[in-house]
Amino acid sequence: MTKTINASGVGNAIDRVEGHLKVMGKAKYASEFPVENKVYGQGINSTIAKGEIISIDTSEAEKLEGVLKVITYKNAEKLKAFDEERPELATDSIAPVLQSNKVHYYGEYVGLVVAETFEQAQYAARLVKFEYKKDSDALIDFEKSKSKAYTPDNDSNYSRGNMKLGLSEADMVVEQTYNTPIEHHHPMELHAVIAAWDNGKVTAYASQQIVEDAKIAISGTFQIPKEDVRVISAFVGGGFGSKLNLDRHVIMAVMASKMVGRPVQVTVTRTQMFTNTNMRQQNEQKMRVGAKKDGTLTALSHETLSHTSITQEYQEPCGMVSKMLYNVPNNEVTYKLIPMNLQTPFAMRAPGEATGSFALESAMDEMAWKLKMDPLEFRIKNDTQTDLHENRPFSSRLLVECLRIGADKFGWKDRKAEPRTNKKGNWLIGYGVSAASREAPYQKTHAKVILELEEDKIFATIQMDATDIGTGSYTIIAQTASEYLKIPVEQVTVELGDSDFPITPGSGGSWGAASYCNGARAACENAINTLKNNRNIKGDEEVTVSELLKQNQLTKFEAEGMAEPSAEFKKYSIFSFGANFSEVWVDKDTGMYRIKRMVNVGSAGKILNPKTAYGQIIGGLTMGAGMVIAEQSRVEPNFGNFITRSFADYHVPVNLDMANIDVIFLPEEDKIANKMGIKGIGELGITSVAASISNAIFNATGKRMRSLPITPEKLIEAGLEEGVTA
Amino acid sequence: MRPFTYTSATNKEQALKASTKTSHYLAGGTNLVDLMKEDVERPDQLIDVNKLDYKKITSNEKGGLSLGAMLSNAETANHPEIRTNYPLLSMAMLSAASAQIRNMASNGGNLLQRTRCPYFFETSMPCNKREPGSGCGALKGMNALHAIFGYSDNCIATNPSDMNVALAAIGATVEVQKKDGSSRMIEFTDFHRLPGDKPEKDNTLEQGELITAIHLSKPEFSDHYYYLKIRERSSYAFALISVAAGLQVKSGVIAKAGLAMGGVAHKPWKLSKAEEFLVGKKPNKSKFEAAADLAMKDAKPFEANKFKVEMGKNAIVRALTQAYEREA
Repeated sequence: MTKTINASGVGNAIDRVEGHLKVMGKAKYASEFPVENKVYGQGINSTIAKGEIISIDTSEAEKLEGVLKVITYKNAEKLKAFDEERPELATDSIAPVLQSNKVHYYGEYVGLVVAETFEQAQYAARLVKFEYKKDSDALIDFEKSKSKAYTPDNDSNYSRGNMKLGLSEADMVVEQTYNTPIEHHHPMELHAVIAAWDNGKVTAYASQQIVEDAKIAISGTFQIPKEDVRVISAFVGGGFGSKLNLDRHVIMAVMASKMVGRPVQVTVTRTQMFTNTNMRQQNEQKMRVGAKKDGTLTALSHETLSHTSITQEYQEPCGMVSKMLYNVPNNEVTYKLIPMNLQTPFAMRAPGEATGSFALESAMDEMAWKLKMDPLEFRIKNDTQTDLHENRPFSSRLLVECLRIGADKFGWKDRKAEPRTNKKGNWLIGYGVSAASREAPYQKTHAKVILELEEDKIFATIQMDATDIGTGSYTIIAQTASEYLKIPVEQVTVELGDSDFPITPGSGGSWGAASYCNGARAACENAINTLKNNRNIKGDEEVTVSELLKQNQLTKFEAEGMAEPSAEFKKYSIFSFGANFSEVWVDKDTGMYRIKRMVNVGSAGKILNPKTAYGQIIGGLTMGAGMVIAEQSRVEPNFGNFITRSFADYHVPVNLDMANIDVIFLPEEDKIANKMGIKGIGELGITSVAASISNAIFNATGKRMRSLPITPEKLIEAGLEEGVTA
Repeated sequence: MRPFTYTSATNKEQALKASTKTSHYLAGGTNLVDLMKEDVERPDQLIDVNKLDYKKITSNEKGGLSLGAMLSNAETANHPEIRTNYPLLSMAMLSAASAQIRNMASNGGNLLQRTRCPYFFETSMPCNKREPGSGCGALKGMNALHAIFGYSDNCIATNPSDMNVALAAIGATVEVQKKDGSSRMIEFTDFHRLPGDKPEKDNTLEQGELITAIHLSKPEFSDHYYYLKIRERSSYAFALISVAAGLQVKSGVIAKAGLAMGGVAHKPWKLSKAEEFLVGKKPNKSKFEAAADLAMKDAKPFEANKFKVEMGKNAIVRALTQAYEREA
């Protein structure tokens, strides 16, 4: 039998299989399901940061036409409470809401109005009057709250070797603090839910990244059996981590549906997205780096001070990257948290790496400047093929190759080592580099395949509770089925995002692609093997799937499969690696700057579909550029609210801000990572971009910018770094 | 949104007649409707003036052009006559907002744009402009984006418009229809006001008055002009500082200068002293720097917006330099 090349299997740059649905407006997002008899809920937010509700007047709202219910702590259903003080926020955490008169932060939900129409609910929500007793000791100012910092009890503090010794052995020491602000995920699709309570059973159309955990969170909060909850999340318009866990609008919608006896839709407004979904918290990262004259690292410490909420704990692992990226014998990573009167922060794209790499890769650049070494060579000199933190080899690590190839493509050799020497008119031109790493997790995943034989053709349907958060899950899963069943992708249907389907880990942490595809692969392989076994066909014998069904005298066949990390997987450290190069032009008088071009090189295992993969990296680079250019949510120091409250003042990059971007993937198949050789790329793109741009700004201006974002006013006010000639 | 009634006027008489103390005219709606959604503006009636016939660009008796109040910002800025004769105005208008907003926003409405002060937008915070007597939250709050000229203890907000800055530099008159059917002219520099003890009033319009036209002075800066807008991102961001600079150069000497700043005061900030200083001087860097020093001498920044003084000076010098060096 001749082998045919499958043009739609993995590795091919096919168009998105769901693309047509999206363009036609037929892909249904959470709030678009035509649920009959549906009514609308509008959340009401607290207007104090700390205190108590002393009175609530709902009379005006209740008089309005169409208003069905005003729910506050006074009449809300009793929900499961946290078992301990400030438990860690997890993706399946319960989300109790409207349970007491206590207010923990500005914008916390204090009520929900349910009405026949969206407009009625919105208006009525404004008419509910709350009277508060405001506490004057709210912790809303990071600087002023530092005395409340504590060490979280989660074993994340780490050390190896001896920092003191390492620093004493160093010829040069960099000791600097880097600040990153509160940022918000802000996916285009607002968080939304339509929830229906029917005789103790719940169906929730919700925009969630992990369907199974959403189900656990609903059942846990209402103390009902898991089997009685169904979550549907067919399409998700971006998550970036904000939809990993279940937020309280979902719980309010379920509760309201139970109380009014009709399905209830709650859509979080863009302003509420600032206070009623997660955020990336402010981080103050203190770095100490020691190196010998020849560039050998002797010591590296990374101390992070962040904040969590009063009610739940989250700590972004900023120091993770400092534990494993370089060959440094003496290493220390610590964390402290301040409980503040703000909502609970949670994972935002590349939690730990995105912010931690800004600190580490800035400090590395500072050290290279002090050593008068090329920052590229400095990084390469300190490469390691062993993860010194886990004391395990990397399954594959092509960081040096990423740096070398990137340098070549970018034209790094043209970089002028001295800042302020590359000029063009009013512009100061700079080049920057940074190294990137992101763990490539892979988790237990189930999938089902349904094969149907129609006129000699096999049609396959893959079902799993996986989600597509805009990343391309539908497409790469279809390509996987196409690959293993050896049928064109047009004959594959992928059905996702329904908790009635086999369980997957959902989308997040860059584990989706590897987990989903291996799960789908396992189901396809199981189907083929079972069909072969039934007819005593040898495993390696090439028989088409349609032939197998015929030989089994079947027109339809279903099989399930499961994939999970191997024993070998656990003996290695499994990461994706990358390198970022940026050219930035800074206006010498105005502090405005342009990112002219970027080159990103990644080694991220098997690239399943170059189109969707490039999309992930370009999106990550854009989000990373946003960290540098302007993204920040600022807390009003007297009231505790975010003064940035819409896309008009929370500045994300616009097209004109973005550079010419060149994305390169090194050919790599990491079979230790998983059978298909896949590693994650969803978060690799954002990692270290901020440092690459900031380092380019230093190379251009001689100004070291250690607090993000780097705005024109900060550049105007900053002085030249020691040793820079004006 | 709160309930309101909607009336569409087909002529000015209808519009003027319908107007009350609590009504608002609705043109592009790009600012008003947003503020209604935020519960900041609470009109009980909207009088749609989009059907009114103030959509032309015509010649006026001052030798300049007149802009219909209902013409969109995009149509105005891209109009060949405006691009040729008032390129400074065109440049400023095209730096504003986004293409979509410029398509909707009207010229009259642009003059009436309200401040972007976050205390004005958030109804739970004090703001004398939104709620007279409630206090100014920004005065002792977050005021990096606020005024450095002409503010009072009652209000330190800035005017956010780019178009206004260019109009202040080139000179214009605003024509308004009074409620009694007569019309009056307001010098552009008198149109907006400083906050004083009435920050709720952004401008000198009386209740019910309707802007019908903006009459531009005769074109003087079509050869040497520049609008510099310093902002956090390249589009859809309000100015930290902006400078509109126009120069008329005759025989190597500045014959006339038009200079105004945005992002620094409750109204577009005309730099009259610097304009006067420049007249008769040879255009060069030291003169531009002297003009910038003069312009920023009286600035009274807060701790958080001190950067605006140096940034402002740099911006003035740069805008004048770019204007002068532009190939005519």
